[in-house]
Amino acid sequence: MAGVTLRGVRKSFGRIEVIHGVDLEVADGEFVAFVGPSGCGKSTLLRLIAGLEEPSAGDLSIGGQRVNDRPPAARGIAMVFQSYALYPHMTAYDNMAFGLTLSRTDKGTIAERVRAAARLLQIEDLLDRKPRDLSGGQRQRVAIGRAIVREPQVFLFDEPLSNLDAGLRVQMRLEIAKLKADLRATMIYVTHDQVEAMTLADRIVVLNAGRVEQAGTPLELYHRPRNRFVAGFIGSPAMNFLDVVSEGRADGSVRVWLPGGVPLDVAVDGAAPPAGTPLTLGVRPEHVGLADGGAGLLATILAVERLGGETHCHAALEDGQRLLVRLDGDRPVAAGERLRLNLRGETAHLFGADGQRL
Amino acid sequence: MSGLPHSSLERQRRRAAWLFLLPMLVVLAGVAGWPLFRTVFFSFTDATLATLDGFQGVGLDNYLWLVRDPVWWRAVWNTLVFTVVSVGIETALGLGIALILNAHLPGRGLLRAAVLIPWAIPTVVSAQMWGWMFHDLYGVVNAILMGLGLIAEPRAWTADPDLALPVVIAVDVWKSTPFMALLILAALQMLPRDLYEAARVDGVHPVKVFVRITLPLIRPALMVAVLFRTLDALRVFDLMYVLTGNSRSTMSMSVYARQYLIDFQDVGYGSAAATLLVLVLAAATVLAVTLGRVRVDAGR
Amino acid sequence: MGLRRIAFALVVLGIVVWAVFPFAWAIVTSLKAGSALFTVEAWPSQPSLANYAAIFKEQPFGRNILNSLMAASAVVALSLGLAVLAAYALGRVRFRGRGLLLFVVLGVSMFPQVAVLSGLFELVRWLGLYNRIGSLVLSYLIFTLPFTVWVLTTFMRELPKELEEAAMVDGAGPFVIVTRVFLPLMGPALAATGLLAFIAAWNEFLFALTFTLTDDARTVPVAIALMSGASQYELPWGQIMAASVVVTVPLIGLVLLFQRRIVSGLTAGAVKG
Repeated sequence: MAGVTLRGVRKSFGRIEVIHGVDLEVADGEFVAFVGPSGCGKSTLLRLIAGLEEPSAGDLSIGGQRVNDRPPAARGIAMVFQSYALYPHMTAYDNMAFGLTLSRTDKGTIAERVRAAARLLQIEDLLDRKPRDLSGGQRQRVAIGRAIVREPQVFLFDEPLSNLDAGLRVQMRLEIAKLKADLRATMIYVTHDQVEAMTLADRIVVLNAGRVEQAGTPLELYHRPRNRFVAGFIGSPAMNFLDVVSEGRADGSVRVWLPGGVPLDVAVDGAAPPAGTPLTLGVRPEHVGLADGGAGLLATILAVERLGGETHCHAALEDGQRLLVRLDGDRPVAAGERLRLNLRGETAHLFGADGQRL
Repeated sequence: MSGLPHSSLERQRRRAAWLFLLPMLVVLAGVAGWPLFRTVFFSFTDATLATLDGFQGVGLDNYLWLVRDPVWWRAVWNTLVFTVVSVGIETALGLGIALILNAHLPGRGLLRAAVLIPWAIPTVVSAQMWGWMFHDLYGVVNAILMGLGLIAEPRAWTADPDLALPVVIAVDVWKSTPFMALLILAALQMLPRDLYEAARVDGVHPVKVFVRITLPLIRPALMVAVLFRTLDALRVFDLMYVLTGNSRSTMSMSVYARQYLIDFQDVGYGSAAATLLVLVLAAATVLAVTLGRVRVDAGR
Repeated sequence: MGLRRIAFALVVLGIVVWAVFPFAWAIVTSLKAGSALFTVEAWPSQPSLANYAAIFKEQPFGRNILNSLMAASAVVALSLGLAVLAAYALGRVRFRGRGLLLFVVLGVSMFPQVAVLSGLFELVRWLGLYNRIGSLVLSYLIFTLPFTVWVLTTFMRELPKELEEAAMVDGAGPFVIVTRVFLPLMGPALAATGLLAFIAAWNEFLFALTFTLTDDARTVPVAIALMSGASQYELPWGQIMAASVVVTVPLIGLVLLFQRRIVSGLTAGAVKG
């Protein structure tokens, strides 16, 4: 097993640079997810690691070896593709054995490894079938099996579940989690689904426009997003952002004025900006509470969306700024009602004009 | 030691690509490039079929003779008339048949199978079949037309200088319209259906729909098909040769060139004619690509 | 509405008759023996297979068919072999000059064949192939090869990119990708392209006419075009029609059988404007 290291990796297609210098360290045995909006470069980054694209600059090492000039097959990686990319004319067995056949592994070893992988994935009965006779989930297993059989140092997953329907996706997610525990291999997983990333990954790398915005454990990203982009990207429904004005420092925190003249003290790491600086306050919908008494932020409900287990209230503050509030499923609220909201400093985030967290 | 812009993988693929292309390029150079070069070369010599390795340069003599030969100009005229008229009729008919095939109506399977038959029949065979049907004494065409009272006495269709070229054109139309229809049909089938539903909901007259929507949308495909057929028609040989032999009234440029090359064994002069034919085709292509804005592309 | 339907049906019927009648008439003629040939009647009063027997007894038509089969099969096999490799390069690898190459390939297929006749004649004679099938295989490559390259390139382009990448991760080089991953998937494309190239080679006339001399070296189209009877001035129309029917029936059968494939093969590349 081995870790993966990226040093100043850049990638341009023609004149357009799509990866702007990425530095990243993936530890041996770690499960890292790349997330970001489409076009952020997450797939390109994975393909660079796989060797399907070549970096325009920078160094890429796997297991301490520089692999820039090695073809994909010589990098000790295996890849699971979004469309599975199974060879349609080969049986499941042959699909899994193809790589080993090409490297002239002896037949006994191939059979042994394919059977072992098939047992792990519970597809032993399907080995004689061709891809067209397999369901989506079964194909996905064969594709994963093909990767396992190669006994790679690093597994690369390119949105492996996005072609499956919702129910199957949850099931396969659990199986990949189990696989992670069983194989203890280094895994890099690209997804646009943050639930997959949050549930599977040891560490998440959030990418935006070819740059790493933040890398950290799922809860780190949730609780301490480094900037406004990460704050808005991680968490569902997305974080609310309100324009506020700094009032200056107040014992380890910054006091800001909320619309309607309500003060809030938010803990910050850095220096407090001078009073009067415009700031952005971030607060997750699940962290907005209803105030008990007459105090609190006054808001008018614009629309109510009932999801059963929870209720989303779209509300407008006194100055017209919008706010999404997540309430219990059965909370009796209706459009047009006025609410008193309660924000807490410890679950709120402050971002400067440059989008960085204070 | 920093990574080069294009290192191993891309380079390997590119090297493989050229390696894969090499056999094809060598063969094409051998069967097309080199012979074409020799033809152009021979056109400036007095080579004959018997003396292909002993000849002398004659400069532009062959070309000067050529432009002074009324038979050559007759061949040029025949070829152009044949091309313009037959491709014109084929396009119109092909468009009509394609529209019928594209309408979801009963009998279109039968129709499609039927129009494939002329396309599948070798040109030589269709020339012979029609030659027999147009036979002056025993031909079915004369029998039918006389039976209907359209002509009073049998016509010598392929021998009559006024009728021979129209007959050749008619046979070509029969043989090549299916190709045109199939190409146009393919273009029609790629048009979005909801466009037509929208037009129908809006109550647009079908003729207007055809002129304003269908035609502009299939225009690129139509132009490509017309270009293909035009280039094919400009080099026509089989049809004239089999139907009317080396007769002047139908002789095409290809027939003329081959007659000198092989029958008269005058390789130099025949090559000059063949070279001019290449130039005519090249001119037609350039004209089509620039004026008609035809884009030929093997997908993207 | 009823009237329009009837009119429409009549138009369709007219087209069908127009398309089919000449061939039907050839069949009718081929069944007429002796002087029956010279009476115009819809069906011979005494149908006879004498013409069919004659083309194989009096003419070397069996041999002609064999010649055509051999020449066409050889040139198709050769073209497909060369074209599959070239199509991978042209369809799936980006390199400078690719567009120009495709244009050249297309240009060659548009060549007037008479323009290479003298050069090819020299080549054929130099290689000692005159009056042999080899001369036809060589010359037919000029149109079958560009056609197969062009069509297979469009098919190659349609194959999913991820499949190739999966093979690369599995350690397959370009040659293995072509032969073991793509080729097995191209069966239908190869069949359609091969069939069209076969038909083109089978129907070729100019080269076959020029590069063969003797009756038993001729291919089917040349034999049919030059078939002569007892005297020079009397064409054996019955036999010519019989020969035409013999070579056309299998073609029509193949074409009708592979209708859809052929239409897609014909239109591949051509109509993507």
